[in-house]
Formats: sequence, structure tokens, C-alpha cells
Amino acid sequence: MKKYFTIFALGMMALSTAAFAGTTAVNTNTVSPTLQISATIQKAVQLTLSTGTAAVSHCAVTPTGGTPDYTMDFGTVDALGINAGNCNKFNPANPGVDNAIYWSDYNLTPVFTSQTAISGTTITAKVSTDFAAPNNIFIVRDSANSSTVPANAAAFTALSTGTPDTIVGPGVTSGTAQTRFIGVAVKPDNGPTVLNGAQSATVTFTLTVQ
Amino acid sequence: MRVREHEDLRRTHLPVVKSGGKVCGASFGASLPSLIIFVFVLVALAKPAAAQNGTFTLSSAPGGIAFTVGGGGNTYSGQFGTMNALGIGTPAAGVTVIPLSNGALYFTTYRLTVTGLPNPHQAGITAFVNSNFTHPLALFMESCPSTSTCNSSGSFAAMSTIAGAPTTVVPAPGINDQTVIAGLGIFVPDNNGASAFTGLDTARITLTATDLTNRKVFATVEIRLDTPQGETVQNAVSLTLATAGGGLAVTPGSDFSMNFGNVNGLGFGPGAGLTTVAATGGVIYSTPYVLQPAFADFTSTAATIRTFASTNFAHPAILQLRDAAAGPGPYTNIGNTAGTATQITNAAASRSSITRFLGLFVANTNGATAFTGSDAATLTFTLTVP
Repeated sequence: MKKYFTIFALGMMALSTAAFAGTTAVNTNTVSPTLQISATIQKAVQLTLSTGTAAVSHCAVTPTGGTPDYTMDFGTVDALGINAGNCNKFNPANPGVDNAIYWSDYNLTPVFTSQTAISGTTITAKVSTDFAAPNNIFIVRDSANSSTVPANAAAFTALSTGTPDTIVGPGVTSGTAQTRFIGVAVKPDNGPTVLNGAQSATVTFTLTVQ
Repeated sequence: MRVREHEDLRRTHLPVVKSGGKVCGASFGASLPSLIIFVFVLVALAKPAAAQNGTFTLSSAPGGIAFTVGGGGNTYSGQFGTMNALGIGTPAAGVTVIPLSNGALYFTTYRLTVTGLPNPHQAGITAFVNSNFTHPLALFMESCPSTSTCNSSGSFAAMSTIAGAPTTVVPAPGINDQTVIAGLGIFVPDNNGASAFTGLDTARITLTATDLTNRKVFATVEIRLDTPQGETVQNAVSLTLATAGGGLAVTPGSDFSMNFGNVNGLGFGPGAGLTTVAATGGVIYSTPYVLQPAFADFTSTAATIRTFASTNFAHPAILQLRDAAAGPGPYTNIGNTAGTATQITNAAASRSSITRFLGLFVANTNGATAFTGSDAATLTFTLTVP
């Protein structure tokens, strides 16, 4: 009896398949290790600017890769609308009294993901760094906040330097480009402190998904 | 366990007596007193002659395999038990395994004792395989000399199979009245293809003790690696994952893990080791990783590797695992069942690493079905050697 038990035990040992970890096995032809993959999903938002395509001429929106994120150059401007500027202009209806407006279209493309509430999404803009005093040049936007090309100087409004102006929304769709218009108004001011030469200001756009 | 062989008294060297610069022989034709004196001297001289024949014994070393002594005390039987070329698993009692890049070395240590040689005689010991394994491409007998520590593969070398050119176990100047430890090993090489072997095999080794002063062999013993069974070679498979250069860390655990960290549907800020690839409806975070298949003693030299998500993400509409042969893609969805497993290769060679790319697709979903937070899935990789 003992002899048969020994033979049985040896036989079972020989036939057995041994797996020593999920990565190795002997006396078999297959092994199946596992890989656990984990990730944490976060919400994401993106707002990019690009050169417009709606108006007759377009001042280029140029990404810098640094700070500021983009630049737009209206070229040489004056309060009488004599200079052509780099894109479009509305000459003053009453030279010496009204402002000249040099303007361009541009595109805003909002993208956002993993947001559960989106219906109240907006894009706002404000002048975060204004031209220097006496501000005989200032930033303007299309008053309608639409993609309709402005017809005249009256279609523009000064962009806020305080509370941001909502220029898109609420109800922004992710991934859809929005055309808007921006420019500089040049006042027919005179005096010892008026600005001449190259001047710059910075506009900050804010996408809020809500 | 003491062995005393090759004791040939006829070859005992009788010392000669030098006198006046001559070598003087004894006279056997003299008177009875002279004969008595001669016999007395002969007896007196015979005693130290017998002491010139040493004894040579083997015994188990601490932590080594056990030997069963037989054959009148000059055969030592044992076994190395079950082995495989990948060195997987726990070897038999008394056996140590060292996995190598081309096989595995199983070894044990044993004690050799020599006593009884006349001072200053010392004994050297050699060994050769007198009956080799019947599958000499699957099992190689190796030896470690007594002068080495015998605890690493570098201490072992192939044992001779030629009686006339044996392997040195105890080298000159030799030993006497001393016990030393040497090593006995079996190298099990990677052996796929036509010469693959699994099963039982045995071998026998002859160890010879020689008086290094007079070059006289005074004892031989035999180690029989056949008791109670011998050496059993099993086939073996292994599949491990590793971090690829420039890729996300693959962390060993149960069995491996990989953390993509913070991800988003726009592909912003991929973590170290990750790159993003554009995809419809979201983005793919991609990383290279390495598959390291190994297998031994199969007739096939090519294996298949498949993978599937054995545990899918809790949010499968947001996160999906994809596979690609190259970083830029194309990426294909990895199946979620064993039956729909994605085949990575059907030509995996043993010990040949494969760099593959794992993609984590993150959907750019918004609204009620959007999800933020942690999620996890498990991929099961299966290596199969046909």
C-alpha cells in the first residue's frame, strides 16, 4: 500500500503545473501577468485666438509661445485716418472731433472637457494693461458681440478696463470658433502729453465654463 | 564512508640505505641471525609503507544535497530534482539555483576529505562525467574547485567527460588530513526547438584522488545523480513588463502597475514619460513599455502574446486602453474579454524584449456624462508557446 502511495505521489508531482507568480510558470505553456493602469481625470479648459477671416483685411493674431500669449499689430495709426494701418479702418466722420478707428476681426476658440455644467459658459475680455495716459488711444470692441462685420465706427465700444465685458455667451459650444472684432480708437487730442510713437496695451480674455 | 582503494603494497617504496656513498643492498644468503634481522627490518619498514595510502571520502556539505552511500562505501547517490532553464521556483533541498541570461545553473556543495597520506604528501582530486546525461544539450554537468567559494556562476565550469583529461576539483598543492568543500552544478540552458527536452535524466561522475608527490592514484569514488529519481527538466514560461526608455514607469507589484497620473480630454500637461496623440473625440496619452518574454524547452521558438482588459475602467466611455506598435500609432482598442484579446505578436522570441506602446484614450466629454476623478483598469497579458 505504501509503495502504491509513493508511486501516486511521484506521479502527481510530475504531472502538476506550478505557477510561482503571475509572471512565471513551469510545466505549462502559458503565463498571464497583469498590469494595473490608473489615471485621474481632470477638467480642462482652453481658449485660443487666431486670425480672423470675416472682414476685408485681417491683422494677424500671432502666438508668441510666451508672454503675452498673442500679439496683434495695427501698424501706424493717426486720429485723422490718414495712415492705412495694417488692416481695416473707419475714418472719423468729423475729423478733429471724432475718433479714427483701426480694427480687425479675430477668432476665439474655446475648448473644454469633463465639465458637467456648461450652459452658462462665457468668454469675457478686459483691458488688463491700458495705453498710458492721457489715453488718446484706447481699445475698442464690436458693440454687438457678434460675428457680423461692423459697418461703421459707431459699431465699436470701448473695451472695459474694469469689470470684464462678456463678448461670447452664455452658451458657448466647446470647439466652435467665435468671430469678434477688436480695434484701437485714436482721439484727435493735442497737447504736450499725448502719446506718439509705438504704444501697446494688453487685453485679457477669460473663458469660464459653468 | 571511508574508502581505501588502490592500495598496492607491491609498489611500496622501500627506503634504501646509503653508506659511504654507495647504495648497499641486503644479503639474503647469510646466517639465521642475519635472516631474523632481515625479517625484523622488513616488518619495521612495512608499517610506514602502509601509511602512505591515504583515504578519500565524500560527505554532504551543510546546505548541500544528501548522499546515500553504497557500493561498499565508494558510491554516493543523490539528485538535483526538478529544474528548468529559467530558474523558476524553489529548487530541491540542498540545491541552489542561479538564473542566467542563457539558462539556469543549479548547484550544490559537497565535502571532500583526505586523510592518512604520509607527511608531506598531499592529494589532488579530479573528476569527470563517466556516464553523461542522455540529453547532453539539455543538461550540462559543471564543477567548482575547492579553491573557489562556489556560490556564483563564475565559480563553475563545465566538467570533463573524458577520463584522460579530468576536471580539477582539488588542485595542487592538494590536501591531507583535511576536509574541503567543492561545488557540483548542472547548467540547464535555454533549449527551444528540435533539441528541446523535458523529462528525467541521470548522470554519474568519477572522482579520483591522487597522491601529488608520487602521482599515485589511491582512491576513486562515484557520484550517481540518479537517486531516488535523478534530474527532471521541466519547460518554463515567463512574461515580465518593464519600463521603456523615456516611458512611464512600470512598477512591479501584483503583478505590475502603471500610473498615468492626471489626464484630461485635451491632452494638456502630459506627465513624465507620456506623450499625447490626437484622436477623434478626445486624446490619447501614450507611453512605451517593454515586454520581456522568456520560455525554455519548447519545440516552438516563437510565442504569442495577447492582452485584454480583464478589469475595465468604471467609466469605459471616458477612458479606453489602446495598443500600438509605434508611438504615433495607429492605435487600436484593446479588447475587454479573453475572446477579443488584442494580439501583440505571434513571433515573440525567448529573451527578446519587445517595445510596445500603450495608449490611454481620454474622451473630451462634457455634460451629465462627464467624469472627473480616479479610475483604474487591469490588462492581462498572456504568453502562449504553442
